[in-house]
Amino acid sequence: MEFLSYLISGISLGSVYAIIALGYTMVYGIAKMLNFAHGDVIMVGGYISLIAMMNAGLSPWVAILLAMVVCTLLGVLIEGLAYRPLRAAPSLAVLITAIGVSYLLQNSALLIFGANPKSYTPIITGTVHLFDGQLSISYVSLLTVAACIVIMVALTLFTSKSKMGKAMRAVSEDKAAAQLMGINVNSTISLTFAIGSALAAIAGVLLCSSYSTLMPTTGSMPGIKAFTAAVFGGIGSIPGAFLGGLILGIVESLSKAYISSQLANSIVFAALIVVLLVKPTGLLGKYIPEKV
Amino acid sequence: MGELLNVENINVYYGAIHAIKGVSFTVNEGEVVTLIGANGAGKSTTLQTVSGLLRSRTGSITFNGENISHIPTHKLVNKGLAQVPEGRRIFLQMTVRENLDMGAFTQKSGIDESLERVYEQFPRLKEREKQIAGTLSGGEQQMLAMGRALMSHPKLLMMDEPSMGLAPILVDQIFEIIQSLHKAGTTILLVEQNAQKALRVADRAYVLETGRIVMSGTGKELSASPEVQKAYLGG
Ligand SMILES: Nc1ncnc2c1ncn2[C@@H]1O[C@H](COP(=O)(O)OP(=O)(O)OP(=O)(O)O)[C@@H](O)[C@H]1O
Ligand SMILES: [Mg+2]
Repeated sequence: MEFLSYLISGISLGSVYAIIALGYTMVYGIAKMLNFAHGDVIMVGGYISLIAMMNAGLSPWVAILLAMVVCTLLGVLIEGLAYRPLRAAPSLAVLITAIGVSYLLQNSALLIFGANPKSYTPIITGTVHLFDGQLSISYVSLLTVAACIVIMVALTLFTSKSKMGKAMRAVSEDKAAAQLMGINVNSTISLTFAIGSALAAIAGVLLCSSYSTLMPTTGSMPGIKAFTAAVFGGIGSIPGAFLGGLILGIVESLSKAYISSQLANSIVFAALIVVLLVKPTGLLGKYIPEKV
Repeated sequence: MGELLNVENINVYYGAIHAIKGVSFTVNEGEVVTLIGANGAGKSTTLQTVSGLLRSRTGSITFNGENISHIPTHKLVNKGLAQVPEGRRIFLQMTVRENLDMGAFTQKSGIDESLERVYEQFPRLKEREKQIAGTLSGGEQQMLAMGRALMSHPKLLMMDEPSMGLAPILVDQIFEIIQSLHKAGTTILLVEQNAQKALRVADRAYVLETGRIVMSGTGKELSASPEVQKAYLGG
Protein backbone atom coordinates (compact mmCIF):
# COMPACT_ATOMS: atom_id res chain seq x y z
CA MET A 1 0.00 0.00 0.00
CA GLU A 2 2.88 2.30 0.80
CA PHE A 3 4.40 1.51 -2.55
CA LEU A 4 1.14 2.29 -4.31
CA SER A 5 0.95 5.62 -2.61
CA TYR A 6 4.51 6.54 -3.69
CA LEU A 7 3.74 5.32 -7.16
CA ILE A 8 0.67 7.52 -7.38
CA SER A 9 2.52 10.57 -6.17
CA GLY A 10 5.18 9.76 -8.75
CA ILE A 11 2.57 9.60 -11.49
CA SER A 12 1.15 12.90 -10.38
CA LEU A 13 4.58 14.56 -10.27
CA GLY A 14 5.37 12.93 -13.60
CA SER A 15 2.21 14.37 -15.09
CA VAL A 16 3.38 17.88 -14.25
CA TYR A 17 6.77 17.13 -15.81
CA ALA A 18 4.98 15.74 -18.84
CA ILE A 19 2.89 18.89 -19.31
CA ILE A 20 6.04 21.02 -19.11
CA ALA A 21 7.96 18.61 -21.30
CA LEU A 22 5.27 18.84 -23.99
CA GLY A 23 5.96 22.57 -24.22
CA TYR A 24 9.71 21.99 -24.45
CA THR A 25 9.39 19.30 -27.04
CA MET A 26 6.96 21.19 -29.30
CA VAL A 27 9.12 24.28 -29.33
CA TYR A 28 12.21 22.19 -29.95
CA GLY A 29 10.50 20.21 -32.68
CA ILE A 30 9.43 23.30 -34.57
CA ALA A 31 11.89 26.06 -33.77
CA LYS A 32 14.83 23.65 -33.23
CA MET A 33 15.81 25.52 -30.10
CA LEU A 34 15.88 24.79 -26.38
CA ASN A 35 13.76 27.42 -24.73
CA PHE A 36 15.41 27.43 -21.32
CA ALA A 37 13.05 30.18 -20.20
CA HIS A 38 10.17 27.71 -20.46
CA GLY A 39 10.50 26.73 -16.78
CA ASP A 40 10.27 30.35 -15.71
CA VAL A 41 7.05 30.85 -17.62
CA ILE A 42 5.68 28.23 -15.20
CA MET A 43 6.65 30.46 -12.30
CA VAL A 44 4.97 33.47 -13.95
CA GLY A 45 1.82 31.37 -14.35
CA GLY A 46 2.02 30.57 -10.63
CA TYR A 47 2.26 34.24 -9.61
CA ILE A 48 -0.48 35.39 -11.96
CA SER A 49 -2.89 32.76 -10.68
CA LEU A 50 -1.91 33.56 -7.07
CA ILE A 51 -2.59 37.26 -7.52
CA ALA A 52 -5.84 36.51 -9.31
CA MET A 53 -7.06 34.31 -6.47
CA MET A 54 -5.62 36.13 -3.45
CA ASN A 55 -5.63 39.80 -4.40
CA ALA A 56 -8.44 39.92 -6.93
CA GLY A 57 -10.53 37.21 -5.29
CA LEU A 58 -11.26 35.46 -8.56
CA SER A 59 -12.30 31.83 -8.70
CA PRO A 60 -9.52 29.28 -9.29
CA TRP A 61 -10.80 28.46 -12.77
CA VAL A 62 -10.80 32.09 -13.83
CA ALA A 63 -7.33 32.37 -12.30
CA ILE A 64 -6.07 29.48 -14.43
CA LEU A 65 -7.55 31.05 -17.51
CA LEU A 66 -5.96 34.39 -16.72
CA ALA A 67 -2.59 32.72 -16.09
CA MET A 68 -2.88 30.96 -19.45
CA VAL A 69 -3.68 34.18 -21.27
CA VAL A 70 -0.81 36.09 -19.66
CA CYS A 71 1.69 33.26 -20.22
CA THR A 72 0.59 32.85 -23.84
CA LEU A 73 1.21 36.53 -24.48
CA LEU A 74 4.50 36.35 -22.62
CA GLY A 75 5.62 33.32 -24.64
CA VAL A 76 4.77 34.98 -27.94
CA LEU A 77 6.49 38.18 -26.80
CA ILE A 78 9.66 36.32 -25.77
CA GLU A 79 9.74 34.52 -29.09
CA GLY A 80 9.18 37.67 -31.11
CA LEU A 81 11.63 39.90 -29.25
CA ALA A 82 14.38 37.54 -28.18
CA TYR A 83 14.42 34.55 -30.51
CA ARG A 84 13.03 35.70 -33.85
CA PRO A 85 15.88 38.13 -34.56
CA LEU A 86 18.24 35.17 -34.07
CA ARG A 87 16.54 32.84 -36.52
CA ALA A 88 19.60 32.62 -38.74
CA ALA A 89 22.10 32.81 -35.86
CA PRO A 90 24.16 29.87 -34.60
CA SER A 91 22.24 27.72 -32.13
CA LEU A 92 24.69 28.53 -29.34
CA ALA A 93 23.71 32.21 -29.57
CA VAL A 94 20.05 31.24 -29.27
CA LEU A 95 20.78 29.00 -26.28
CA ILE A 96 22.63 31.77 -24.46
CA THR A 97 19.77 34.15 -25.20
CA ALA A 98 17.29 31.66 -23.76
CA ILE A 99 19.34 31.40 -20.58
CA GLY A 100 19.39 35.20 -20.46
CA VAL A 101 15.61 35.36 -20.80
CA SER A 102 15.32 32.80 -18.01
CA TYR A 103 17.38 35.00 -15.65
CA LEU A 104 15.46 38.07 -16.76
CA LEU A 105 12.16 36.45 -15.79
CA GLN A 106 13.49 35.16 -12.46
CA ASN A 107 14.99 38.49 -11.49
CA SER A 108 11.92 40.43 -12.56
CA ALA A 109 9.88 38.18 -10.29
CA LEU A 110 12.41 38.74 -7.52
CA LEU A 111 12.04 42.49 -7.96
CA ILE A 112 8.26 42.45 -8.06
CA PHE A 113 7.35 39.70 -5.59
CA GLY A 114 10.46 39.49 -3.37
CA ALA A 115 12.59 36.48 -2.53
CA ASN A 116 10.39 35.05 0.21
CA PRO A 117 8.29 32.06 -0.70
CA LYS A 118 4.59 32.86 -0.88
CA SER A 119 2.11 30.32 0.32
CA TYR A 120 -0.16 29.06 -2.41
CA THR A 121 -3.63 27.78 -1.70
CA PRO A 122 -4.31 24.74 -3.88
CA ILE A 123 -6.97 25.35 -6.51
CA ILE A 124 -8.88 22.39 -5.16
CA THR A 125 -8.54 20.86 -1.73
CA GLY A 126 -9.52 17.53 -0.32
CA THR A 127 -8.50 13.89 -0.64
CA VAL A 128 -10.09 10.63 -1.59
CA HIS A 129 -9.53 7.79 0.85
CA LEU A 130 -9.39 4.26 -0.44
CA PHE A 131 -8.95 0.86 1.21
CA ASP A 132 -10.31 2.00 4.58
CA GLY A 133 -8.15 5.06 4.56
CA GLN A 134 -4.90 3.21 3.92
CA LEU A 135 -4.43 4.98 0.65
CA SER A 136 -5.20 8.64 0.20
CA ILE A 137 -4.96 10.60 -3.00
CA SER A 138 -5.35 14.35 -3.14
CA TYR A 139 -7.77 15.88 -5.60
CA VAL A 140 -4.88 17.97 -6.90
CA SER A 141 -3.05 14.76 -7.87
CA LEU A 142 -6.10 13.42 -9.64
CA LEU A 143 -6.67 16.71 -11.42
CA THR A 144 -3.02 16.80 -12.49
CA VAL A 145 -3.10 13.34 -14.01
CA ALA A 146 -6.42 14.04 -15.74
CA ALA A 147 -5.16 17.36 -17.10
CA CYS A 148 -2.04 15.68 -18.43
CA ILE A 149 -3.99 12.99 -20.26
CA VAL A 150 -6.44 15.47 -21.76
CA ILE A 151 -3.60 17.74 -22.93
CA MET A 152 -1.66 14.87 -24.41
CA VAL A 153 -4.66 13.56 -26.36
CA ALA A 154 -5.63 17.05 -27.52
CA LEU A 155 -2.12 17.80 -28.76
CA THR A 156 -1.86 14.49 -30.55
CA LEU A 157 -5.15 15.11 -32.34
CA PHE A 158 -4.18 18.67 -33.10
CA THR A 159 -0.86 17.81 -34.73
CA SER A 160 -2.16 14.80 -36.62
CA LYS A 161 -5.56 16.03 -37.78
CA SER A 162 -5.77 19.81 -37.93
CA LYS A 163 -4.46 21.89 -40.78
CA MET A 164 -2.34 24.10 -38.52
CA GLY A 165 -1.04 21.07 -36.69
CA LYS A 166 0.11 19.52 -39.96
CA ALA A 167 1.66 22.83 -40.94
CA MET A 168 3.61 22.73 -37.67
CA ARG A 169 4.99 19.33 -38.55
CA ALA A 170 5.89 20.57 -42.01
CA VAL A 171 7.75 23.54 -40.52
CA SER A 172 9.51 21.24 -38.10
CA GLU A 173 10.81 19.12 -40.97
CA ASP A 174 11.78 21.72 -43.52
CA LYS A 175 11.23 25.45 -43.12
CA ALA A 176 12.07 26.42 -46.70
CA ALA A 177 9.80 23.75 -48.19
CA ALA A 178 7.04 24.79 -45.78
CA GLN A 179 7.31 28.37 -47.03
CA LEU A 180 7.03 27.16 -50.61
CA MET A 181 3.71 25.55 -49.58
CA GLY A 182 2.47 28.95 -48.44
CA ILE A 183 2.97 28.32 -44.73
CA ASN A 184 3.97 31.38 -42.73
CA VAL A 185 6.88 30.02 -40.71
CA ASN A 186 7.05 32.91 -38.26
CA SER A 187 3.42 32.73 -37.28
CA THR A 188 3.62 28.95 -36.99
CA ILE A 189 6.51 29.29 -34.57
CA SER A 190 4.58 31.93 -32.62
CA LEU A 191 1.63 29.58 -32.38
CA THR A 192 3.90 26.88 -31.01
CA PHE A 193 5.23 29.20 -28.34
CA ALA A 194 1.67 30.23 -27.52
CA ILE A 195 0.59 26.63 -26.99
CA GLY A 196 3.73 25.73 -25.03
CA SER A 197 3.34 28.75 -22.76
CA ALA A 198 -0.34 28.13 -22.12
CA LEU A 199 0.64 24.61 -21.05
CA ALA A 200 3.35 26.07 -18.83
CA ALA A 201 0.69 28.18 -17.10
CA ILE A 202 -1.41 25.09 -16.39
CA ALA A 203 1.68 23.28 -15.14
CA GLY A 204 2.47 26.27 -12.92
CA VAL A 205 -0.92 26.23 -11.26
CA LEU A 206 -0.81 22.45 -10.73
CA LEU A 207 2.75 22.49 -9.44
CA CYS A 208 2.12 25.31 -6.97
CA SER A 209 -1.07 23.59 -5.87
CA SER A 210 0.78 20.43 -4.96
CA TYR A 211 3.78 22.20 -3.35
CA SER A 212 1.69 24.96 -1.73
CA THR A 213 4.53 27.45 -2.10
CA LEU A 214 5.83 29.74 -4.78
CA MET A 215 9.02 31.74 -5.25
CA PRO A 216 10.93 33.24 -8.19
CA THR A 217 13.01 30.09 -8.72
CA THR A 218 10.04 27.72 -8.47
CA GLY A 219 10.04 26.95 -12.18
CA SER A 220 13.70 26.32 -12.69
CA MET A 221 14.20 22.81 -11.25
CA PRO A 222 10.94 21.39 -12.68
CA GLY A 223 11.88 23.08 -15.94
CA ILE A 224 15.22 21.30 -16.07
CA LYS A 225 13.62 17.99 -15.11
CA ALA A 226 10.94 18.38 -17.74
CA PHE A 227 13.63 19.13 -20.28
CA THR A 228 15.31 15.93 -19.15
CA ALA A 229 11.99 14.15 -19.56
CA ALA A 230 11.62 15.50 -23.08
CA VAL A 231 15.11 14.29 -24.05
CA PHE A 232 14.50 11.01 -22.24
CA GLY A 233 11.34 10.37 -24.25
CA GLY A 234 12.86 11.59 -27.52
CA ILE A 235 12.91 15.33 -28.04
CA GLY A 236 10.39 16.50 -30.61
CA SER A 237 8.05 13.58 -29.90
CA ILE A 238 4.74 14.29 -28.15
CA PRO A 239 4.13 10.77 -26.80
CA GLY A 240 7.82 10.72 -25.88
CA ALA A 241 7.44 13.79 -23.68
CA PHE A 242 4.43 12.22 -22.02
CA LEU A 243 6.19 8.94 -21.37
CA GLY A 244 9.45 10.61 -20.35
CA GLY A 245 7.66 12.86 -17.88
CA LEU A 246 5.78 10.00 -16.28
CA ILE A 247 8.84 7.75 -15.95
CA LEU A 248 10.91 10.58 -14.52
CA GLY A 249 8.24 11.45 -11.95
CA ILE A 250 7.92 7.83 -10.88
CA VAL A 251 11.70 7.29 -10.68
CA GLU A 252 12.05 10.44 -8.63
CA SER A 253 9.25 9.59 -6.24
CA LEU A 254 10.37 6.00 -5.67
CA SER A 255 14.01 7.01 -5.23
CA LYS A 256 12.97 9.57 -2.64
CA ALA A 257 10.99 6.94 -0.79
CA TYR A 258 13.26 3.94 -0.95
CA ILE A 259 16.78 5.18 -1.62
CA SER A 260 17.49 8.69 -0.48
CA SER A 261 15.75 11.99 -0.94
CA GLN A 262 19.14 13.68 -1.35
CA LEU A 263 20.11 11.34 -4.14
CA ALA A 264 16.76 11.41 -5.94
CA ASN A 265 17.78 14.10 -8.42
CA SER A 266 21.08 12.41 -9.18
CA ILE A 267 19.26 9.17 -9.85
CA VAL A 268 16.88 10.93 -12.21
CA PHE A 269 19.74 12.40 -14.23
CA ALA A 270 21.67 9.12 -14.14
CA ALA A 271 18.62 7.43 -15.68
CA LEU A 272 18.72 9.99 -18.47
CA ILE A 273 22.37 9.29 -19.16
CA VAL A 274 21.76 5.55 -19.31
CA VAL A 275 18.86 5.93 -21.74
CA LEU A 276 20.84 8.24 -23.98
CA LEU A 277 23.79 5.85 -24.01
CA VAL A 278 21.57 2.97 -25.04
CA LYS A 279 19.31 4.92 -27.38
CA PRO A 280 20.69 8.34 -28.32
CA THR A 281 17.40 9.55 -29.79
CA GLY A 282 15.52 8.90 -26.54
CA LEU A 283 12.82 6.33 -25.90
CA LEU A 284 10.46 7.28 -28.72
CA GLY A 285 12.70 9.54 -30.76
CA LYS A 286 12.86 8.49 -34.35
CA TYR A 287 15.43 8.80 -37.01
CA ILE A 288 14.33 8.60 -40.61
CA PRO A 289 17.19 8.41 -43.05
CA GLU A 290 16.99 10.57 -46.12
CA LYS A 291 16.75 8.87 -49.50
CA VAL A 292 19.17 10.11 -52.08
CA MET B 1 0.93 35.42 -75.29
CA GLY B 2 1.56 37.70 -72.31
CA GLU B 3 4.62 37.86 -70.19
CA LEU B 4 4.12 35.85 -67.00
CA LEU B 5 7.53 36.14 -65.39
CA ASN B 6 10.08 38.82 -65.98
CA VAL B 7 13.40 38.64 -64.18
CA GLU B 8 15.36 41.82 -64.68
CA ASN B 9 19.03 42.19 -63.79
CA ILE B 10 19.24 40.20 -60.57
CA ASN B 11 22.44 39.93 -58.54
CA VAL B 12 22.51 37.35 -55.76
CA TYR B 13 25.24 36.79 -53.21
CA TYR B 14 26.03 34.12 -50.64
CA GLY B 15 28.06 36.24 -48.26
CA ALA B 16 31.03 37.27 -50.36
CA ILE B 17 30.26 34.82 -53.17
CA HIS B 18 28.65 36.55 -56.13
CA ALA B 19 26.51 33.67 -57.43
CA ILE B 20 24.20 35.44 -59.91
CA LYS B 21 25.64 38.28 -61.96
CA GLY B 22 23.03 40.43 -63.65
CA VAL B 23 20.70 37.75 -64.92
CA SER B 24 17.59 38.71 -66.93
CA PHE B 25 15.07 36.46 -68.61
CA THR B 26 11.36 36.11 -69.29
CA VAL B 27 8.78 33.35 -69.35
CA ASN B 28 5.65 33.90 -71.40
CA GLU B 29 2.27 32.44 -70.61
CA GLY B 30 1.92 28.85 -71.79
CA GLU B 31 5.62 28.37 -72.50
CA VAL B 32 8.06 25.80 -71.27
CA VAL B 33 11.32 27.62 -70.68
CA THR B 34 14.41 25.80 -69.59
CA LEU B 35 17.50 27.01 -67.81
CA ILE B 36 20.49 24.80 -68.48
CA GLY B 37 24.02 24.99 -67.22
CA ALA B 38 26.82 23.09 -65.52
CA ASN B 39 27.01 22.31 -61.82
CA GLY B 40 27.29 25.49 -59.81
CA ALA B 41 26.21 27.74 -62.68
CA GLY B 42 23.51 29.29 -60.51
CA LYS B 43 20.34 27.58 -61.72
CA SER B 44 18.97 26.70 -58.30
CA THR B 45 19.99 30.07 -56.94
CA THR B 46 17.98 31.73 -59.71
CA LEU B 47 14.85 29.70 -58.93
CA GLN B 48 15.17 30.34 -55.22
CA THR B 49 15.45 34.04 -55.89
CA VAL B 50 12.26 34.01 -57.94
CA SER B 51 10.45 32.23 -55.11
CA GLY B 52 11.82 34.70 -52.56
CA LEU B 53 13.89 32.25 -50.52
CA LEU B 54 16.91 34.28 -51.61
CA ARG B 55 16.92 38.01 -52.37
CA SER B 56 18.54 39.91 -55.18
CA ARG B 57 20.48 43.09 -54.40
CA THR B 58 19.41 44.72 -57.63
CA GLY B 59 16.77 44.68 -60.34
CA SER B 60 13.26 43.31 -60.11
CA ILE B 61 11.17 40.20 -60.47
CA THR B 62 7.74 40.72 -61.98
CA PHE B 63 5.18 37.96 -61.88
CA ASN B 64 1.82 38.33 -63.61
CA GLY B 65 2.32 42.09 -63.77
CA GLU B 66 3.19 42.49 -60.09
CA ASN B 67 6.62 43.24 -58.64
CA ILE B 68 7.25 40.32 -56.27
CA SER B 69 10.88 41.14 -55.41
CA HIS B 70 10.00 41.92 -51.80
CA ILE B 71 7.05 39.64 -51.20
CA PRO B 72 7.65 36.87 -48.64
CA THR B 73 7.85 33.35 -50.06
CA HIS B 74 4.74 32.07 -48.32
CA LYS B 75 2.56 34.69 -50.04
CA LEU B 76 3.58 33.65 -53.54
CA VAL B 77 1.66 30.38 -53.73
CA ASN B 78 -1.63 32.24 -53.74
CA LYS B 79 -0.40 34.39 -56.59
CA GLY B 80 0.09 31.26 -58.66
CA LEU B 81 3.75 30.38 -58.22
CA ALA B 82 4.81 26.88 -57.21
CA GLN B 83 8.20 25.24 -57.02
CA VAL B 84 9.44 21.68 -57.08
CA PRO B 85 12.67 22.28 -55.21
CA GLU B 86 16.02 20.67 -55.91
CA GLY B 87 16.29 17.37 -54.08
CA ARG B 88 12.47 17.11 -53.81
CA ARG B 89 12.27 18.36 -50.23
CA ILE B 90 9.08 16.46 -49.48
CA PHE B 91 8.09 16.09 -45.83
CA LEU B 92 9.62 12.71 -45.11
CA GLN B 93 7.83 12.03 -41.84
CA MET B 94 4.40 12.86 -43.17
CA THR B 95 2.20 10.62 -45.27
CA VAL B 96 1.79 11.00 -49.02
CA ARG B 97 -1.67 12.44 -48.51
CA GLU B 98 -0.45 14.88 -45.86
CA ASN B 99 2.27 16.08 -48.22
CA LEU B 100 -0.35 16.73 -50.88
CA ASP B 101 -2.52 18.53 -48.32
CA MET B 102 0.43 20.80 -47.58
CA GLY B 103 0.63 21.58 -51.28
CA ALA B 104 -2.94 22.83 -51.04
CA PHE B 105 -2.31 24.68 -47.77
CA THR B 106 -3.52 28.03 -49.06
CA GLN B 107 -6.39 26.69 -51.17
CA LYS B 108 -9.82 27.58 -49.87
CA SER B 109 -11.79 25.19 -52.05
CA GLY B 110 -11.49 22.61 -54.78
CA ILE B 111 -8.94 20.54 -52.85
CA ASP B 112 -10.71 17.27 -53.60
CA GLU B 113 -10.73 18.03 -57.33
CA SER B 114 -7.02 18.89 -57.26
CA LEU B 115 -6.32 15.70 -55.40
CA GLU B 116 -8.22 13.71 -57.96
CA ARG B 117 -6.31 15.28 -60.83
CA VAL B 118 -2.97 14.65 -59.16
CA TYR B 119 -3.91 11.04 -58.46
CA GLU B 120 -4.93 10.66 -62.09
CA GLN B 121 -1.58 11.99 -63.18
CA PHE B 122 0.30 9.86 -60.64
CA PRO B 123 -1.74 6.72 -59.87
CA ARG B 124 1.12 5.41 -57.77
CA LEU B 125 0.59 8.19 -55.26
CA LYS B 126 -3.00 7.12 -54.77
CA GLU B 127 -1.93 3.56 -54.02
CA ARG B 128 0.55 4.91 -51.50
CA GLU B 129 -1.75 7.53 -49.99
CA LYS B 130 -1.18 6.50 -46.38
CA GLN B 131 2.49 5.60 -46.67
CA ILE B 132 5.09 7.71 -44.88
CA ALA B 133 6.80 9.73 -47.60
CA GLY B 134 10.30 8.89 -46.35
CA THR B 135 9.72 5.25 -47.25
CA LEU B 136 8.82 5.94 -50.89
CA SER B 137 11.33 5.11 -53.60
CA GLY B 138 13.28 7.97 -55.13
CA GLY B 139 11.05 8.09 -58.21
CA GLU B 140 7.89 8.03 -56.13
CA GLN B 141 9.28 10.84 -54.02
CA GLN B 142 9.86 12.89 -57.14
CA MET B 143 6.29 12.27 -58.27
CA LEU B 144 5.10 13.34 -54.84
CA ALA B 145 7.13 16.54 -55.06
CA MET B 146 5.55 17.31 -58.42
CA GLY B 147 2.07 16.35 -57.28
CA ARG B 148 2.45 18.49 -54.20
CA ALA B 149 3.38 21.53 -56.27
CA LEU B 150 0.42 20.92 -58.61
CA MET B 151 -2.05 20.92 -55.71
CA SER B 152 -2.11 24.72 -55.75
CA HIS B 153 -3.04 25.02 -59.46
CA PRO B 154 0.02 27.12 -60.24
CA LYS B 155 0.12 29.55 -63.14
CA LEU B 156 3.87 29.01 -63.20
CA LEU B 157 5.48 25.78 -62.13
CA MET B 158 9.21 25.94 -61.47
CA MET B 159 11.03 22.63 -61.40
CA ASP B 160 14.58 22.17 -60.26
CA GLU B 161 16.11 19.04 -61.78
CA PRO B 162 13.05 16.80 -61.61
CA SER B 163 14.92 13.98 -63.31
CA MET B 164 17.87 13.96 -60.95
CA GLY B 165 18.89 10.52 -59.77
CA LEU B 166 16.14 8.68 -61.63
CA ALA B 167 16.41 5.61 -63.85
CA PRO B 168 16.08 6.35 -67.61
CA ILE B 169 12.54 4.99 -67.80
CA LEU B 170 11.45 7.28 -64.98
CA VAL B 171 13.22 10.22 -66.57
CA ASP B 172 11.16 9.63 -69.70
CA GLN B 173 8.04 9.46 -67.61
CA ILE B 174 8.85 12.75 -65.87
CA PHE B 175 9.36 14.44 -69.24
CA GLU B 176 6.09 13.01 -70.52
CA ILE B 177 4.35 14.53 -67.54
CA ILE B 178 6.03 17.87 -68.22
CA GLN B 179 4.75 17.72 -71.77
CA SER B 180 1.23 16.85 -70.72
CA LEU B 181 1.22 19.70 -68.21
CA HIS B 182 2.41 21.97 -71.00
CA LYS B 183 -0.43 20.80 -73.25
CA ALA B 184 -2.90 21.46 -70.44
CA GLY B 185 -1.71 25.07 -70.42
CA THR B 186 0.63 25.20 -67.42
CA THR B 187 3.56 27.52 -67.82
CA ILE B 188 6.80 25.84 -66.80
CA LEU B 189 10.27 27.03 -65.89
CA LEU B 190 12.48 23.99 -65.96
CA VAL B 191 15.99 23.66 -64.62
CA GLU B 192 17.78 20.58 -65.90
CA GLN B 193 21.12 18.83 -66.09
CA ASN B 194 19.68 16.65 -68.78
CA ALA B 195 20.04 19.34 -71.44
CA GLN B 196 19.11 17.12 -74.35
CA LYS B 197 15.71 16.18 -73.00
CA ALA B 198 15.09 19.64 -71.58
CA LEU B 199 15.79 21.34 -74.91
CA ARG B 200 13.46 18.93 -76.63
CA VAL B 201 10.44 19.87 -74.51
CA ALA B 202 11.32 23.55 -74.20
CA ASP B 203 9.89 26.36 -76.30
CA ARG B 204 12.81 28.53 -75.32
CA ALA B 205 15.99 28.08 -73.34
CA TYR B 206 18.69 30.05 -71.57
CA VAL B 207 22.21 28.84 -70.92
CA LEU B 208 23.68 29.86 -67.58
CA GLU B 209 27.42 29.88 -67.02
CA THR B 210 28.98 30.93 -63.70
CA GLY B 211 26.13 33.23 -62.83
CA ARG B 212 25.64 34.79 -66.27
CA ILE B 213 23.31 34.03 -69.14
CA VAL B 214 25.61 33.36 -72.07
CA MET B 215 23.12 32.20 -74.66
CA SER B 216 19.42 32.07 -75.34
CA GLY B 217 17.06 30.97 -78.08
CA THR B 218 14.41 28.45 -78.94
CA GLY B 219 14.92 24.87 -77.87
CA LYS B 220 15.68 23.91 -81.47
CA GLU B 221 18.19 26.69 -82.00
CA LEU B 222 20.15 25.81 -78.90
CA SER B 223 20.09 22.09 -79.63
CA ALA B 224 21.63 22.89 -82.98
CA SER B 225 24.23 25.30 -81.65
CA PRO B 226 27.76 23.88 -81.75
CA GLU B 227 28.72 25.51 -78.44
CA VAL B 228 25.78 23.97 -76.63
CA GLN B 229 26.38 20.61 -78.27
CA LYS B 230 29.99 20.68 -77.17
CA ALA B 231 29.38 21.80 -73.61
CA TYR B 232 26.09 20.15 -72.69
CA LEU B 233 25.07 17.55 -75.19
CA GLY B 234 28.27 15.57 -75.15
CA GLY B 235 28.89 16.11 -78.82
N1 LIG C 1 24.31 28.20 -49.36
C1 LIG C 1 25.36 28.56 -50.13
N2 LIG C 1 26.43 29.17 -49.58
C2 LIG C 1 27.47 29.55 -50.35
N3 LIG C 1 27.54 29.35 -51.65
C3 LIG C 1 26.52 28.74 -52.25
C4 LIG C 1 25.37 28.31 -51.52
N4 LIG C 1 24.51 27.74 -52.38
C5 LIG C 1 25.10 27.80 -53.59
N5 LIG C 1 26.30 28.40 -53.52
C6 LIG C 1 27.21 28.67 -54.64
O1 LIG C 1 26.52 29.41 -55.62
C7 LIG C 1 26.83 28.93 -56.92
C8 LIG C 1 25.56 28.55 -57.63
O2 LIG C 1 24.95 27.45 -56.99
P1 LIG C 1 23.60 26.78 -57.46
O3 LIG C 1 23.17 25.84 -56.43
O4 LIG C 1 22.65 27.86 -57.85
O5 LIG C 1 24.08 26.01 -58.75
P2 LIG C 1 23.26 25.06 -59.74
O6 LIG C 1 23.39 25.67 -61.09
O7 LIG C 1 21.90 24.83 -59.24
O8 LIG C 1 24.11 23.74 -59.67
P3 LIG C 1 23.67 22.19 -59.69
O9 LIG C 1 23.41 21.83 -61.10
O10 LIG C 1 24.86 21.47 -59.17
O11 LIG C 1 22.46 22.07 -58.83
C9 LIG C 1 27.80 27.78 -56.74
O12 LIG C 1 29.09 28.25 -56.95
C10 LIG C 1 27.61 27.37 -55.29
O13 LIG C 1 28.82 26.90 -54.77
MG1 LIG D 1 20.97 23.19 -58.50
